Amino acid sequence: MIKIVKRDQPSKAIFFFTPVLAIFLTLVAGGIIFYILGFKPFEALKFFFIVPIADRYGFSELLLKATPLCLIAIGLSFCFKSNNWNIGAEGQLTFGAIVSGGIALLFYDQEGFYILPLVILAGAIGGMIYASIPAILKTYFNTNEILVSLMLVYVSKLILDYLVVGPWSNPEGFNFPETRQFSDSARLPLLIEGLRIHAGIFLALAAVVISWFVFYKTYLGFQMKVSGFSLKTAKYAGYKGKKMIILVFLISGACAGLAGVGEITGPIGQLHREVSPDYGFTAIIVAFLGRLHPVGIIFASLVVAITYLGAETAQIFMQIPKYTGQVFQGMILFFLLASDYLLFFKFKFIDTKK
Amino acid sequence: MNTNLKISNVTKIYPGCIANDNVSLEFNSGKIYALLGENGAGKSTLVKILSGVVIADEGKIYLNENILKLNSPSDAKKNDIGMVFQHFNLFETLSVFENLIIDSDEKRESLREKIDTIMKKYNFSIDLDIPVLNLSAGQKQKVEIIRCLIRSPKVLIMDEPTSVLTEQETSELFLSLKKFSEEGILIIYITHKLKEVMQLCDEVAVMRKGKLVSVSQIKNENLESLANKMVGQDLKTIKKKKENNSSEQLINITNLNFTSEDPFETNLVDINFSVNRGECLGIAGISGNGQSELFQVLSGEIISNKNSIEFNKNYIGDLNPQERREYLMAFSPEDRLEQAAIPQMAIFENVALNNFKSSNFFNNGLINESKIKEHSKKIISDFNVNTDNIDLKSQFLSGGNLQKLIIGRELITSPDLLICFNPTWGLDVGAINYIHETLIKINEQNKSIILISTDTDELLKLSDKISVIHKGKLSKIMNAEEVTSEKLGILMGGGN
Repeated sequence: MIKIVKRDQPSKAIFFFTPVLAIFLTLVAGGIIFYILGFKPFEALKFFFIVPIADRYGFSELLLKATPLCLIAIGLSFCFKSNNWNIGAEGQLTFGAIVSGGIALLFYDQEGFYILPLVILAGAIGGMIYASIPAILKTYFNTNEILVSLMLVYVSKLILDYLVVGPWSNPEGFNFPETRQFSDSARLPLLIEGLRIHAGIFLALAAVVISWFVFYKTYLGFQMKVSGFSLKTAKYAGYKGKKMIILVFLISGACAGLAGVGEITGPIGQLHREVSPDYGFTAIIVAFLGRLHPVGIIFASLVVAITYLGAETAQIFMQIPKYTGQVFQGMILFFLLASDYLLFFKFKFIDTKK
Repeated sequence: MNTNLKISNVTKIYPGCIANDNVSLEFNSGKIYALLGENGAGKSTLVKILSGVVIADEGKIYLNENILKLNSPSDAKKNDIGMVFQHFNLFETLSVFENLIIDSDEKRESLREKIDTIMKKYNFSIDLDIPVLNLSAGQKQKVEIIRCLIRSPKVLIMDEPTSVLTEQETSELFLSLKKFSEEGILIIYITHKLKEVMQLCDEVAVMRKGKLVSVSQIKNENLESLANKMVGQDLKTIKKKKENNSSEQLINITNLNFTSEDPFETNLVDINFSVNRGECLGIAGISGNGQSELFQVLSGEIISNKNSIEFNKNYIGDLNPQERREYLMAFSPEDRLEQAAIPQMAIFENVALNNFKSSNFFNNGLINESKIKEHSKKIISDFNVNTDNIDLKSQFLSGGNLQKLIIGRELITSPDLLICFNPTWGLDVGAINYIHETLIKINEQNKSIILISTDTDELLKLSDKISVIHKGKLSKIMNAEEVTSEKLGILMGGGN
């Protein structure tokens, strides 16, 4: 007989094992789904997970998609580790893109080394401003940050829609919903000729290193950690708990805003309606799959980025709708949450003869 | 019809403490029974057993000679036992009516009629169609009571019902309870408030440390006798030696007030006291009378008026705990696992929570791990914490070892004043002795202590002066030599 018993203490090995288990289960379930749809499971999975990254171009695309996911997830990890449920990174990304795009448009006919730093800074500030709304409402008016941050996503998308159709639309653009092209000085440089991978990846890597350093090595990080575990203890130690909450939202907003900068100043070079294919939401999955640890998040962002590419390849070669990608993302989160059960419980085999 | 409820040899053991030790009691309808005892005396566990929330390890419960199987709250409801808890179980955003019908399968219309009849009968006036969040605490309690009455219970248990009520609401409640009793409902009233027992009840059962101490008629008792039974007379006469004549004032509290927005918290009213160097001021009281609020105001978790706290000739009422530590104050809160320490963090990280400037735990914003670890090792050896692994998560320390770590962490700065709140709560005898010896040592070094405690024995053993807190007010400060347990008991119950 098998009995489920509570663990005395969460197991460290299991802590890192469950994300791997979740990915494995996702592949199995994905294979079954493909089989039901009438495809050969292994072949379909190959199209989904291996073909897209088999060449140089595919690998560059993988990094291109992983960059915003990693950046946003790093920011979110600050929030989630301190029990602040910011799920509006998509909105912070969009607003960051709007603000940095606005600055880039101011200089559309100018060149200069100072333009790109300004544009990047504007994106971070835009994201911070947008993240500060749920943070301030939460700390001073007791609102629920989940609802506020989520609803603001749609507000930001509508603002963007209005701008690209209305006042910011390209006067020479035949009424397409997009702005002028930014000048070259306002764009993140491409790294390799012919590939779309751009300098935004360095922003993501810098975020990884800085966040690791801040969280594990500084007093500020220590205060955030304590505040996350227990606000009561934070108060007793004399930390400013409310400021800590606002701070983690600002960090998270800045990261999402930077991801937005990467999206518009990289390969595209203008603002248009769809700045992000829901990176802000998918990054939530990345953050948890990476166990909220900077290094874990790097790996998780690569894994989840494949689902974006795989969905496109599968659509082209197998005529499967590209929304399959979201199905896979959903399954990863589902199996991760389910296998986290093993963190706190274990199966015990009991001799029934007794 | 008469109702007879019998509790026979009930025992309930939690890890490390016996909540109910072979308790037997008998109740008959037509009377109001008081179950009296301090916090932790076991009365809540007993009524939780009666209401099916907790299952007894041993013992039986009979209702009218029939054995009851109480494995869940719904078993209690089926057997006509109704319970009104101290904290309300209502859905704030639903209407009163929706809250009342939520666990019933009768038809809405017939229930509405039934509720209207009940309200008319007992003179309750509550609008059934407004959301519960718009009700006062007293009205919410009435909703809870109506919820029990719908099921026409034979037994009604009230757990500390007056803690959130105004005096007006309390007397209304008492009238209703007397009416229920006249109608044949057996009422069990749980409280630690002596006056209410004298005012309302016919018979009183006193519990102490899990045991039933006495059952008696109210007419044979008075405030003093009940206080004695509740607090216990097994007082130790051992006191620490006192030859300290220092009259240098260390801390002086003047006109300190605190008004809370939370109805479950106690307001502090006009607190005044001072403590001299080398002195221990004990603050007694039954828990829930403002001790937690007083601790927070003294530690700086709740900021007060700058001039209300004078420490070492500085006005510090508006400083936070960390800033107060720089003036050499130290704090040991009541809740070890949720406040004083973070169980999920390592021992050395918990040591870093007391971050005073000269510690150099954090330099230029960076964590100085070697410094913290060095300090942690010193605390572990100086204060006999039974481990040598400072990377261990503190949840694996026993309560006693964790408390030693916390006290050690607070004392490593050699503070002038240590404020501690129930420092030995839930500890075993060995750890209690160690903590007590440590506290006595502090006084011998001419440092001061404010000891807020619900343990009278501890207070009489350690304090030089004692005051009692009741409903957020402090009694006058007495010399510990003149204080007897009777006197404390009366003051704790609100007498003079």
